[in-house]
Amino acid sequence: MEKIKLERKVLSRNDLLAAELRSLFERENVAVMNMVSSPGSGKTSLLEKTLGSLSRKLSIGVIEGDIQTDNDAARIAKTGAPVHQIQTGGACHLEAEMVRKALTHFRLEDLDLLIIENVGNLVCPSAFDLGEGLRVVVISTTEGDDKPMKYPAMFRSAHVMVINKMDLLPHTDFDIEKAINHARSLNPDIKILNTSCRTGEGLDEWSELVTAFVHENV
Amino acid sequence: MHELSIALEILDIVEKEAVKHGAAVVRQVHLRVGDLSGVETGSLAFSFDAVKGEKDLTRHAVLAIEHLPVKIRCAPCNEVFAGTGHMVICPQCEGFETELLQGEELEIGEIEID
Repeated sequence: MEKIKLERKVLSRNDLLAAELRSLFERENVAVMNMVSSPGSGKTSLLEKTLGSLSRKLSIGVIEGDIQTDNDAARIAKTGAPVHQIQTGGACHLEAEMVRKALTHFRLEDLDLLIIENVGNLVCPSAFDLGEGLRVVVISTTEGDDKPMKYPAMFRSAHVMVINKMDLLPHTDFDIEKAINHARSLNPDIKILNTSCRTGEGLDEWSELVTAFVHENV
Repeated sequence: MHELSIALEILDIVEKEAVKHGAAVVRQVHLRVGDLSGVETGSLAFSFDAVKGEKDLTRHAVLAIEHLPVKIRCAPCNEVFAGTGHMVICPQCEGFETELLQGEELEIGEIEID
């Protein structure tokens, strides 16, 4: 019997590829944002609004990740933005390798911002770095306010938390303060924005945040 | 459920290392998993056992998982605390100026081969 010391991080292949993607994005001057959420939090609606308000100022490409269907890509294509759909065919998250393959559908040198809409899932996508510079987790007031507590890894790895569907807040028991406190107790540095894609609440701040992120990177 | 891809990744790393050392068989894989790693260890152990037979070298490998609890240092208190569950908030002053010392690990410590 022989013991061999390894001291090796697991997931190293994805991490390695993500690091390669990150330096590629830097070379091409593309800011990359990874959007994660549970299903139905309004991620695609927020994305449509983002494209609506920023596509005149910035050149934005979108990668859509879903287990099945290209419904979301069809919604995004209507905004005129170049979009590519990844159908994971059962996988519950995107991996760096899938993003690398999807990049052949874009002219990176023409883009200021690449937005990756991950598969709607608050568990697995947290563990897979896609080479992004900004990770945004979207939750909504029609979900439990204990989402941060239930999915700590996701909220720890995100830079920004968006609480969407603020227009529905009066009709729910969602406790904003509790959700924010929980998120901060997991991730003291997380930025928090409240939005409603229906009333437009918070969308200006959101657009400013995304624009500032792009200018920091480009 | 990303534990299956993690299990495959572990087997890959272990097999390469075992080949490098001329092993006939891998007996044990020592894995350290932090409570904040996002990995469900029960499901990882299940996945590991389900796929380890795909490689001759790892067929008999036992996955030994060491759990690493959350450990934080609070700057204002200048003390090290065990985190409460997944929280990185200071249990003493309830402040957020904490540094994570332990809890996000997902790493292979060592392997035992014959």
